[in-house]
Amino acid sequence: MEKMKIKMLYADIKSDIEIIENELEQALNSSSHLLNDASIHLLQAGGKRIRPVFTLLSAKFGDYNIERMKNIAVPLELIHMGSLVHDDVIDDSDMRRGRETVKAQWNNRVAMYTGNFIFARALEYVTSIENPRAHQILAKTMVELVNGEVIQIEDKFRLDQNLKDYFRRIKRKTALLIESSCELGAVVSGADEKTVRHLKRYGYFVGMSFQIVDDILDFTATDKQLGKPAGSDLMQGNVTLPILLMKDNPLLAPYLAKVSTTGLTEQERQNMLALVRNSDAIKEATKISNLYLKKALKEVEALPNHPMKKKLRDIALFMGKRKS
Amino acid sequence: MSATSIIQSVQTLQSNILQHVHHRALLQNVGQPTLQEEQLFFIQLPFLNGAAMTDDHKVSAVTVGIVHASLLEHEKVLEVDATSKEQQLIVLSGDYYSGRYYQLLAQSGNIRLIQKLSKGIVDRCEHQIRIYETETRSVEQWVHSLTVIESALISQYYDVYGYNAYTELMENTLTFIRLKKEYGLIQDTKQGFLYRALALADNPTVLESTMERLHGQLITRKQRALEVLKQSHIHDDLKHSIEQYITL
Repeated sequence: MEKMKIKMLYADIKSDIEIIENELEQALNSSSHLLNDASIHLLQAGGKRIRPVFTLLSAKFGDYNIERMKNIAVPLELIHMGSLVHDDVIDDSDMRRGRETVKAQWNNRVAMYTGNFIFARALEYVTSIENPRAHQILAKTMVELVNGEVIQIEDKFRLDQNLKDYFRRIKRKTALLIESSCELGAVVSGADEKTVRHLKRYGYFVGMSFQIVDDILDFTATDKQLGKPAGSDLMQGNVTLPILLMKDNPLLAPYLAKVSTTGLTEQERQNMLALVRNSDAIKEATKISNLYLKKALKEVEALPNHPMKKKLRDIALFMGKRKS
Repeated sequence: MSATSIIQSVQTLQSNILQHVHHRALLQNVGQPTLQEEQLFFIQLPFLNGAAMTDDHKVSAVTVGIVHASLLEHEKVLEVDATSKEQQLIVLSGDYYSGRYYQLLAQSGNIRLIQKLSKGIVDRCEHQIRIYETETRSVEQWVHSLTVIESALISQYYDVYGYNAYTELMENTLTFIRLKKEYGLIQDTKQGFLYRALALADNPTVLESTMERLHGQLITRKQRALEVLKQSHIHDDLKHSIEQYITL
């Protein structure tokens, strides 16, 4: 159902997304059959390809040319893919999108080489773009992405963190790459500065909302929908928005104490999920996500008239209401 | 070019690299990146031998060192359990260094070096991962993989600036150093990249003949490096430093 909705949303740029998909396949082609196997494994796991979509849609506000735009859209998706491969090592995740992760199917070192290979391919690819500003934006994004991950590790099991800490973390972890996808689409296509600014801010707000929804879904979706056990974030020590909003609830305290020490049994996980699902924290978190969405939509309004404005609006709304 | 100034030049590059990848949390938890002296020496070699060093060269030299550090960091990730905070941050330190090299080159507008170093990383990953592939490869093929792993990045860097005259010397010297280390690891601890690649634990009967072949490779690399060195126009002090790297 969700996949169908996404396909409908991408309908206007369907053929260009297919070009991106083929390019991704070619970019990951290697003389090593193990790297090929790992890459095919990742490509087959699919993904929403939201970063290339945002890049292409943003580029429509400038001088759109898919042959040029693929040189930025493909690297953005590759960087996202490479960071997921390394993230699975960090999080010790065996499953992603219902499939075994590279580190689970092979081992951590294979995952490290695969991730490095993908990052390098991304940069090889992006060098077809000569605009120095584009490289500076992408490079800064890559560094900040890692900074976000470092902060996430430092904040693990830290219950004394506040909402500001959380927002700072998700900005770097997720919002920045979506922000940059929009900004780079606009910059590379030569859109005017005002448009670049609005698209950049749109990407940031959508990215923030996207991550908050992700953090909500980690509690509210089923294991099957998530392709991994619900509540995984908390069990790995990642204190996300729903937990921050209800951390003072005395009924949650024993679970929080166990998560950082012995871990939760299956029954305890189910009980903890039920507690979070039935709390006001989910409603509160959804409200905050919607506030970001509203801000994103306001940025769309400020963009010059273009048929793609509606697309940007629809995608933002879809991202904010998705179920998996 | 005296021995002291060679050491100073390598140390300067080292401290420049450390300065550019400084990160409080990473430093606190995983320490400083690993920088191999011989790699830094070869990054500097053309300039130590008289080539004029511009600001662009200085940045480039730092970035080659950073990429090396990044990939070496990921060699520290354990195959099975990387769940400790230190291991998690080792993964991220490699990624951070990798982002920093790109950032530095993006700031200086050196797109060509970004492309060439990326190509070097791809080549290196393709050879590093072979250890997990099932094909049987010869001693010579594995030694070639070591050559790529040790020299691909500097080779690409030389290529960008037209210093290809140093490539063969660099490749043979760096392969010799790595091979000597691997030889020692097999002999002393029955460990290392080659011990595993050649499946010596499963085939103890071929250990002796393999060691002979590896020794043969060491001699070949040394001889080739000495031949290239003899024909080159490298200053005597630099020649002496390289000779010290290739002692058996």
